[in-house]
Amino acid sequence: MIATVGFLGVVAAAVSSAALAVRGFHASAAGERDTSHWLRYPVLGLVVGAAVAMIALEAGLLADDFSIAYVANNSATTTPFLYKVASAWAALEGSLVLWGLVLALFVLSVWVGRARRGEDRLGAAALGFLGVVSLFVFVILATISNAFEVCTATYQGGIGCARSAALPWSASVAGVEGFGPNPLLQNHPLMALHPPTLYVGYVGLTVPFAFAMAALLRAESGDGWLRRTRSWTRIAWVFLTLGIVLGGLWSYEVLGWGGYWAWDPVENASFMPWLLATAFLHSAAVQLRRGVLQSWNFVLVIAAFALTILGTFLTRSGVIVSVHSFTQSAIGPALLWFLMIVLVGSLGLFAMRAHLVSSSPRLDSLFSREGAILVNNLLLALFAFVVILGTLYPLIVEAVSGDTVGVGRPFFDRVAVPLSFALILAMAVGPFVPYRAARPGVVWQRIRHPLRAGLVAAVAVVLLGRRNGWILLATFFAGFVVALAIRQLWVTARAAAAKAGGSIVVEAGRAMRRDPAYWGGQLSHMGVAFLALGIALSANSAVRGTVEMTPGDSASFAGHEVAYTAPFIRDLPNKTAFGATVEVRRGSELVAVLEPRLNQYASSRQTVASPAVDSGWRGDFYVALASWDEDGAIALDLYWFPWIWLVWAGAFTTAIGGAFAWLMRRRNAAPRPAPQEAVGV
Amino acid sequence: MSEAVRRWLAGVITVALAAVVVAAMIIGEDTAQDRVLALGTRIKCPVCQGESIAESPSETSTAMLAVVAEKVAAGESDAQIIDYFTDRYGSGILLDPPFRGRTLALWLTPLLALAGGVALILGLRRRRVAPRAPVEPAGEER
Repeated sequence: MIATVGFLGVVAAAVSSAALAVRGFHASAAGERDTSHWLRYPVLGLVVGAAVAMIALEAGLLADDFSIAYVANNSATTTPFLYKVASAWAALEGSLVLWGLVLALFVLSVWVGRARRGEDRLGAAALGFLGVVSLFVFVILATISNAFEVCTATYQGGIGCARSAALPWSASVAGVEGFGPNPLLQNHPLMALHPPTLYVGYVGLTVPFAFAMAALLRAESGDGWLRRTRSWTRIAWVFLTLGIVLGGLWSYEVLGWGGYWAWDPVENASFMPWLLATAFLHSAAVQLRRGVLQSWNFVLVIAAFALTILGTFLTRSGVIVSVHSFTQSAIGPALLWFLMIVLVGSLGLFAMRAHLVSSSPRLDSLFSREGAILVNNLLLALFAFVVILGTLYPLIVEAVSGDTVGVGRPFFDRVAVPLSFALILAMAVGPFVPYRAARPGVVWQRIRHPLRAGLVAAVAVVLLGRRNGWILLATFFAGFVVALAIRQLWVTARAAAAKAGGSIVVEAGRAMRRDPAYWGGQLSHMGVAFLALGIALSANSAVRGTVEMTPGDSASFAGHEVAYTAPFIRDLPNKTAFGATVEVRRGSELVAVLEPRLNQYASSRQTVASPAVDSGWRGDFYVALASWDEDGAIALDLYWFPWIWLVWAGAFTTAIGGAFAWLMRRRNAAPRPAPQEAVGV
Repeated sequence: MSEAVRRWLAGVITVALAAVVVAAMIIGEDTAQDRVLALGTRIKCPVCQGESIAESPSETSTAMLAVVAEKVAAGESDAQIIDYFTDRYGSGILLDPPFRGRTLALWLTPLLALAGGVALILGLRRRRVAPRAPVEPAGEER
């Protein structure tokens, strides 16, 4: 019953998507004065269908309806409420249902925004392209990746689902118990938050793509499409950033070796489009201000979307093995075909229209804001290229020669570190270089005091006893970037206060509200600088050790005393936790009582580590249980991560900067002549 | 203090601060304890999904890392230890592709792309229309 409702929701969404595509392109071509009613039914059908599918899936999971194959294989009666909810995106089919819902909600937002504008041919065409993409998603959901298949045979003892049928109204068998989610995916509450956030960002990049394609289709050049595309990209970018950070946090809390980023193919899949979306947010500002780079902006938006499809293909088709990859499925070829269609279609359209939309390249001097942003774009695009190359290289070599080669963290680190520092340099100085052609004297005047502030910060770190080059370089840049932004705000506010006679603080707030894109950008830049410092610290000054202990033992580690008091076993409905109680002291002060565990889930023989962390401003004391014996003997992996909170604080600040630019943007931004507008980056 | 003296002093302070930082970087930190882990991150855990033996908690990784530690203690060089593992498991065991053979292109392609990008940007500048007089915004306007 639930399965039937869910499947009908998927079908309704697919039909509405097709109608949306047809109606959208028609409305764009016909151009009625008020076309909003034309698209009302397809949009509502899509949203309602997608919502029904999602609600049905959640209902099936929460009601333990094991006649649905997906529920039987990814949930269990003993699965806690939160993880039942999260099971909806813990496997391939369910994650596509969420994908479809997010896309439908974006369609609704675009439609609502467009209805306010009266005649809007660009928006109608964009909705047409969105309809095409969502048609693809829902057809996949209705056919080769159907979350609502019913179970026709269970495994021995009525557990799970061994065989399933595509049509949800065929006769079904309900087992008595399901398998439960993958142990790794029910080990931390962030599992409920990280995937949906990431999806909003990932799927959100479809909207900029749709607007870019609409502009190409209608041969519209200029600022109109760009403003709307930038604004949608910013929203997607904020969520993509948050999703990536939450993923890092999840991995830090769950995987048991204190890492937050491993250049895993799935991490790369979210990072590649992030790099290009970041590049676009910058080069869009150049186009708005100086009227150049229009063709490049089209390329960036199209490439960012294509990379989301490529990333989905890599991680959902089973061609690459990773912590995140789901089981092999037939969705791979379909995604590959879709990627081909997207690439050929969009690049073909671009080639046909390029002469109409391209702007004449006129760059007065490389030593200018647009020069700095060009360098930033080159570095970001190169970064994305290297990540793609490193991810695909083993596949290419294996396909060509049959040999296996490994490309992993050491390769990415070696390339990413110099690229990142070059980017940070451009990011620090770029916003303070004037447009068109800068005089060195002006730039020097703006950066000389902040430069000294950065050097003072680095010297302070030397005095604290650190001499690692990366840490010092990152400290310098953090001080430099923060001082640059504060100085700029101070100078702007002081000039305004002198003119208006108000207070500097009030004027500073006013200045930030007046140009949210610029100041949101500055906030993000500070976040990136702190993130870099956090990464440099965690990569170069973390302490790691392993101790074997029996109850009553204690050991000293990284300035702390670790005392192992007792082992414990806790039986919970869905798992058994084997753990150890560990007291951590600094001097005579008891800092924390930690309980690292190994969790054994009913569904799997494999145990999953559940590390315990004591976080403080000085750093994190991180304890993971490496082994646990019935006689009480344990092995502990101990880590000390100094200042690791800088990583999270920096990354969240980066996202907050984007959110500031998005939420504070001027409403009713009627197109104004570009040269007069104060658009910053 | 006259303006000239103040400027001179500021310059000296900046250079002195930079000198301290650069000197500290050159001296660097002692990272001898990390050689085992550094080697570990370059070797793939054969039973895991894309993790290195330094990261994976599996028994195989722990055993392999112990072999690395033994060889480091015995005074073998990094190259010797890496060769030991590639001889046994093949070149697929490395996460750190060498700068030769099948993975040479992996290192060279990004360099070519960088060169292409730089050429493109320089070309953009040369193709400019007649250069205009630089317009500096007055004072502190961005």
